[in-house]
Amino acid sequence: MSTIIIDGMAFAMPLFIIAVGGIYSERSGVTNLALEGFLGAGGFFGALFVACTSSLFAASSQLPMYLSLLVAMVGGGLYALLHAVLCIKFKANQVISGVVVNIIAMALTDFLTSQINTSVFGASSDRFVLSVSSRFTVPVLSSIPVLGGFFTNVYPFEVIILLVALAAYYLLYKTTFGMRLRACGDNPSAVDAAGGDVAGIRYIAVMLSGALSGLGGMCFAYSIFANYSSSIYVGYGYLAIAAMIFGNWKILPTFWACVLFGFARSGGYRLVQVLGMPSTYSDLIMILPYLLTLLLLVFFSKNNRSPRALGEIYDKGKR
Amino acid sequence: MTMNESAAGTPIIEMRHITKRFPGIVANDDISLSINKGEIFALLGENGAGKSTLMSILFGMYEPDAGEIYIRGEKVRISSPNQATKLNIGMVHQHFKLVSNFTVTENIVLGLEPKKRLGGILPVVDIKGTDGKIAALSEKYGLEVDPRAKIEDLTVSVQQRVEILKMLYREAEIMIFDEPTAMLTPQEIESLLGVIRSLRDAGKTIILITHKLEEIKQVADRCAVLCRGKLVATCDVAATSTHQMAYMMVGREVSNEMEKEPPHFGREVLQVEHLTVKNANGFPVVKDVSFSIREGEIFAVAGVSGNGQDELADAIAGMADAAAGTIRLDGEDITRASVRQRNEAGMAYIPADRQNTGMIMDFTLAENLLLKSYYRPPYCVRGRLHREAFGRKSQELIGAYDIRSGQGADTVVRSMSGGNQQKAIVARELDQQGKLTIFVQPTRGLDIGAIENIHRQILAERAKGRAILLISLELDEVMKLADTIGVIFSGQLLKTAPVQNLTVNQVGNYMMGVTT
Repeated sequence: MSTIIIDGMAFAMPLFIIAVGGIYSERSGVTNLALEGFLGAGGFFGALFVACTSSLFAASSQLPMYLSLLVAMVGGGLYALLHAVLCIKFKANQVISGVVVNIIAMALTDFLTSQINTSVFGASSDRFVLSVSSRFTVPVLSSIPVLGGFFTNVYPFEVIILLVALAAYYLLYKTTFGMRLRACGDNPSAVDAAGGDVAGIRYIAVMLSGALSGLGGMCFAYSIFANYSSSIYVGYGYLAIAAMIFGNWKILPTFWACVLFGFARSGGYRLVQVLGMPSTYSDLIMILPYLLTLLLLVFFSKNNRSPRALGEIYDKGKR
Repeated sequence: MTMNESAAGTPIIEMRHITKRFPGIVANDDISLSINKGEIFALLGENGAGKSTLMSILFGMYEPDAGEIYIRGEKVRISSPNQATKLNIGMVHQHFKLVSNFTVTENIVLGLEPKKRLGGILPVVDIKGTDGKIAALSEKYGLEVDPRAKIEDLTVSVQQRVEILKMLYREAEIMIFDEPTAMLTPQEIESLLGVIRSLRDAGKTIILITHKLEEIKQVADRCAVLCRGKLVATCDVAATSTHQMAYMMVGREVSNEMEKEPPHFGREVLQVEHLTVKNANGFPVVKDVSFSIREGEIFAVAGVSGNGQDELADAIAGMADAAAGTIRLDGEDITRASVRQRNEAGMAYIPADRQNTGMIMDFTLAENLLLKSYYRPPYCVRGRLHREAFGRKSQELIGAYDIRSGQGADTVVRSMSGGNQQKAIVARELDQQGKLTIFVQPTRGLDIGAIENIHRQILAERAKGRAILLISLELDEVMKLADTIGVIFSGQLLKTAPVQNLTVNQVGNYMMGVTT
C-alpha cells in the first residue's frame, strides 16, 4: 500500500503544478493546450543547466537539482511567451497555437539536446543525464499505518511544489492581480471598463502557466526518467489539462483529480507486480490513468463550466 | 422638481462640432451640445441615429474624427474609459460590463480594489470589509441589492443596480445611461426612473440615451434630438409635446392613428384544431387550442409573456411538435410537415427572437435575405450558388424595404441596428408571397419610426388578402391591428372575439385569467 502512495504522490504533485499552470492561463481566458510543450521546454532548460554546471558541483550535491527547478521555471515562462504572443498580440486561434507550440517544443528540444551533446560535450547522445534526487522520510509521522506512506521516501520537490501551489492559490484568489485575472476569463470588457489591462494580465498569466509547467516538467525528468530526453513528451501535459477540467478550473478540486490519477497509475503498476504479469504488460497499465480520465470526464464533468470568455479573442474596439 | 439651484445653469459638459465616421456611415455629423450640472439630459433618436456613438466618445471608447470636448470648462482629450472615470464620468452600457461568477461587491470594486494585510504582511483584497460600504451605498440611493450575491443569480434589473453602484463607488458626477429601460418590465422602469431622479437630486448630472418619449417626458429636464447622425434640436422637455419630439426624431409626421380599411374576409386559410404542445419536460404549455384565420384577417393572440405564445407559434411554424391536434393550411394537414414543406406551402414566419431564430448574425445581409430560397433557381443551379442572383435579389429587397446598413448587401448582419435587422427579416418573409404570415412580437425593441413602418406593412398584407397571425405582448398593438383577438392564458385560449366586441379592460382581465 505504501508504495502506491509513495509513487502515486511522486507522480501526482508534478502533474498538479502543471495543471495549476493550465488554470492560470485558462482562467485568464487563454485556451492552453500547450502545457505539454511548456513542461518539455522548461525541463530542457533545467536539464541543460545541470549538464553545463555538472563540473562545478560535487557529484552528491543536491544543489544543482534545486537550481535546475528555478531555471526550468524561468525557461518554461519564457517559452510560454511564444503562445502568449501568438494568442494575444497576433490574435491567433488559441487551439492551433497550442498544438503548434507543442510540436515546436518537441522538435526543437530533441534537436538541441542531440546537437549540444555532440558539439559541446563531445558525446553523441539524445539525452542529458541527471543525478538521482535524494528522498527523505519524516520520522514518527512515517510510522503511522497506511497514511505514513505520505511521509515516506518523499522527493524534496514534492514539498517545493506544495509551497509553490500555496503561493499560486494565494495569488489567484486573494490578490488584486488574481481577481482581475479571473475577471478576464469571464468578461474581459468588464476589466477593460474598470481600467485593467486585459492583454497585460493575460501575458503574465500565460507566462506563469509556462513557469509552473516547467517546474512540473523538471520534476518529472528527475523522478520518472532520471534524465532529460524526448521521452518526456508522453502526454502528461494533456493529462494535466484533463485534471484541470475535471477539477472545474479550480485549484483544490484539481489537486484531488491529480492525486486520483497518481494513485491510478501507481496502483496499476502494483497490480502488474502482484499478478506477476510480464513487464511488457506495464505498458498496457500505462493507459490506466488515461482510461480513468475518459470515464471520469464522461460521467462527472457534465456540470463543469469552463471560464465564460475562454478562447475568445478580446478586441477592445468591439462593442 | 427640486434642482440643485446654485449649480443649475452652468455647463459641466460641452461637446463642440463632434464628427465621427465609420466605414460607409457618418455616425455623428458636426454635433454640438452643452449639458448643465445637475440636470437630466435626454438624448433622443431612432436606432442608428448616433446617440450611443456620441456617448461612447464622451466615455472615451471612441475618439472623434473632429471636434472638442470641454468638461467643467476645461478642454479634455478622453482616450480611454479610464480617463473618463478620472473625470468622474460613469456609464451604464446597454450590455452590462459585469463578471458573472463574481459577487456584487467584487464587481463593484474591480479595478479599485480595497486592500488589507493578512497577518500584517501579505496584501489581500478585502471583499468582506467592503460589503458593508456597498450595502450602505445601496441603501442611500434606494438600490436594493445583496452585496454577497453572485451576478449570474441576479435578474437584469438588479444587475443594472450593480452597474449604477459601480459608478457611485467611483464617485461619478456625470452618469450616462444607454437605453437603460430596454430590458425592464414596466414596474422596474418605474423604479429605475425614481432612482435616476434621486441621483439628480443628489447633484449628479444624468445623460439618458433613449428612444422612448414617455420616459423623457417623465424624468428629463432637457432633451437633444438626433436624426441620422445630425443634431436636429435641443429642447426644454416641459415646453415640448411628445408629438413634436416624435416628429423631430423621425424627421416626418408620425401618425398614431393608422388608416385601417374595413375588413374583407375570404375563405379560411389556417385552421388549428385542439392543438396541444408540450415543453421539454413533457408538461403541456399549449392546451387544446382551436382557432381559424381567414383571408384578409388579422388574428391577434394577446397575453402576458410566458403563457404559451412562443410554443404556439413554434408549433404552427413547425419548430416544435404538436402533441395532439391538427394544423391545416389551405385545407391541407401540415401537422407533421417539415419547416421547409410549410414554407413552400405558403407560410411566412417572423420569429420573436430575431437574432437567434430569425437570422444568422455572422452572415451577410444578402445571404440572410435569401435564407429561405437559396436552394432554388436562380440562386442555386445544379448545386452551385449563384452570387450574382443573390446580389440582384437582395438589392431589390434592400430598396423595396428601405434596409439601411454600412456596406449594403455585403454588410455582416451583426453590425446592423435592430430595426434594420427586423426590416430584413420582414423583407425576406413577405417576399415569399405566402398565404399566411406569422408575426411574433414584431416590434419588440424597435423605435417608433420602425414600429410604425412594421404596422403599415402588416396592414398592407391584410389589404392584399393574406391571413395574418399576430402574437404580441403589447396590448396597444393588438387592439390597434387585430380583426379578431384570442386571449391566451396558461396555454388556453380563454376568449376569442372580434375586436369591436372587446374593450381594453376586458382583454386585460382575460390576460390575467379572469373570465367573469
